[in-house]
Amino acid sequence: MEEKDQLQSRQWKSFSDRSRTMNMGTQALKKLNYPAVTMLLVLMAAWYFGAHVYNKPFVFPYFEVVMGRIGEALTDLAVLRAIGITMRRVLMGTLYGFIIGLPLGMAMGFSPLIMKTLSPFVNAVRQIPTTAWVPLAIIWFGLGDGPTLFVLALHGVFVIILNTAAGVMDINPEYYNAVKSMGAGPVEIVKDVIFPGALPGVITGIRLAMGMGWMTVV
Amino acid sequence: MSIIVDHVTKSFSERNRRRQSKLVLKDVCFEVPDGEFVSLLGPSGCGKSTTLTIIAGFQGRDSGDVIVNGRTVTRPGPDRAFVFQDYALLPWMKVGENITYPMKMQRVPKEEREKRLDELLSLAQLQECRDQYINELSGGMKQRVALLRAIACDPEVLLMDEPLGAVDFQMRKLLQLQLESILMQKKVTTLMVTHDVDEAVYLSDRVIVMGRDHGNILADVAIELDRPRDRTSEKYHGYCDQLTELLKTALSGEVFTKEDEDIMNFIKNAEIESRRHC
Ligand SMILES: Nc1ncnc2c1ncn2[C@@H]1O[C@H](COP(=O)(O)OP(=O)(O)OP(=O)(O)O)[C@@H](O)[C@H]1O
Ligand SMILES: [Mg+2]
Repeated sequence: MEEKDQLQSRQWKSFSDRSRTMNMGTQALKKLNYPAVTMLLVLMAAWYFGAHVYNKPFVFPYFEVVMGRIGEALTDLAVLRAIGITMRRVLMGTLYGFIIGLPLGMAMGFSPLIMKTLSPFVNAVRQIPTTAWVPLAIIWFGLGDGPTLFVLALHGVFVIILNTAAGVMDINPEYYNAVKSMGAGPVEIVKDVIFPGALPGVITGIRLAMGMGWMTVV
Repeated sequence: MSIIVDHVTKSFSERNRRRQSKLVLKDVCFEVPDGEFVSLLGPSGCGKSTTLTIIAGFQGRDSGDVIVNGRTVTRPGPDRAFVFQDYALLPWMKVGENITYPMKMQRVPKEEREKRLDELLSLAQLQECRDQYINELSGGMKQRVALLRAIACDPEVLLMDEPLGAVDFQMRKLLQLQLESILMQKKVTTLMVTHDVDEAVYLSDRVIVMGRDHGNILADVAIELDRPRDRTSEKYHGYCDQLTELLKTALSGEVFTKEDEDIMNFIKNAEIESRRHC
């Protein structure tokens, strides 16, 4: 019985996203990162006492004052709207990057020929700094959401291409032979080998793209 | 279903030396008749896996023919089930999904798949592992799952690359027993690569010994013993000794790699073992 419990908890840990039986409350509680929360409390305490001991609020503001300001900002509708818009832009930009980057990355990871053909271009275009794109983007897309989305998508596309390609190249080549010898066709090879095999890389790519998106959008 | 390997030659181009290529197999010829169990024995690096993967259609050949059931092999196919030296189980699928995968590809109805899965799991004593992921298994368990996946669809030809290498002694004997009963009952045409002389004698109708000289075939020994085989019989040991001698000449005293050492150790142990039995 105990063994079974252990097994279940282990499975739940690694595949928690799949378990639907657990209600959200306990799930959130179990997922809580206690060491990090402790660290946060320690840092907050250090700030609070540090600021009071130092006692020069202009250089080192009091913890409670800063928190108060954040509270004000978060209850201000205009700020909230702005955050919402930014979030939407980052998500949309990453989504466009994903839609273009995923197939390209998968193709480049799968076929050495495609990789050889495209990688010089990808690597060249990737080096162009974001700011250099901005004027062009404004000319192409006008003012407003267009250029922002373009720059975000462009940023995301390369990160996603590189991580997806790396993910696909990481797949054990024997897996292709294995499923082929069991009768899998091209559709099954993509569905059962390439896609799940590249998934960790794809997810890393999306996370990096979103993170970088936040930084560039500012 | 028979396998015919007819003057197969295979070389690999070496990356640093453009013009030169490494000849691994030269004019290799042998045959596995319908329903026969043949083992391929030989020192490490002599080309056993290469031969097996060419028959499976995973890689091409420079010249020669491979004919399975009257058809020339050009690509992998479900008519030839394969057990990989390093399992090649899909880590994103559970044990059960891995084993039923070939049946799914053959469009076996779901109910039938589940029934067959239960049957197979109990065969290898893996019932509790059904919903585990591959990386939660030990090496021996993975190997058993790989074996079950290969026989799930009742293949007519089975190619196995050291299928029991990572299984512990006891489980190995048990699986040999089960493998024999399954394969003999269904008359599966089987070609197995192995390092283990005892395993080869226990399971095979014939043992082919491959040498280091471009996969030249040193001997083709028919094992004429009644099944199930009596490991304590004199004749059984006679075969083991004969094959051990052949392996020694195949190595010709040259120990290149760790696997060679393993074989040499194995040979020594086998000799000690057989002396104890006498
Ligand atoms: N893709 C490859 N490229 C270059 N050389 C290769 C390739 N595959 C195999 N070889 C070479 O071919 C030879 C035979 O390899 P193979 O894997 O068939 O040996 P083996 O008999 O199965 O050995 P083991 O018992 O260790 O598995 C080795 O010398 C190996 O280095
Ligand atoms: Mg091998």
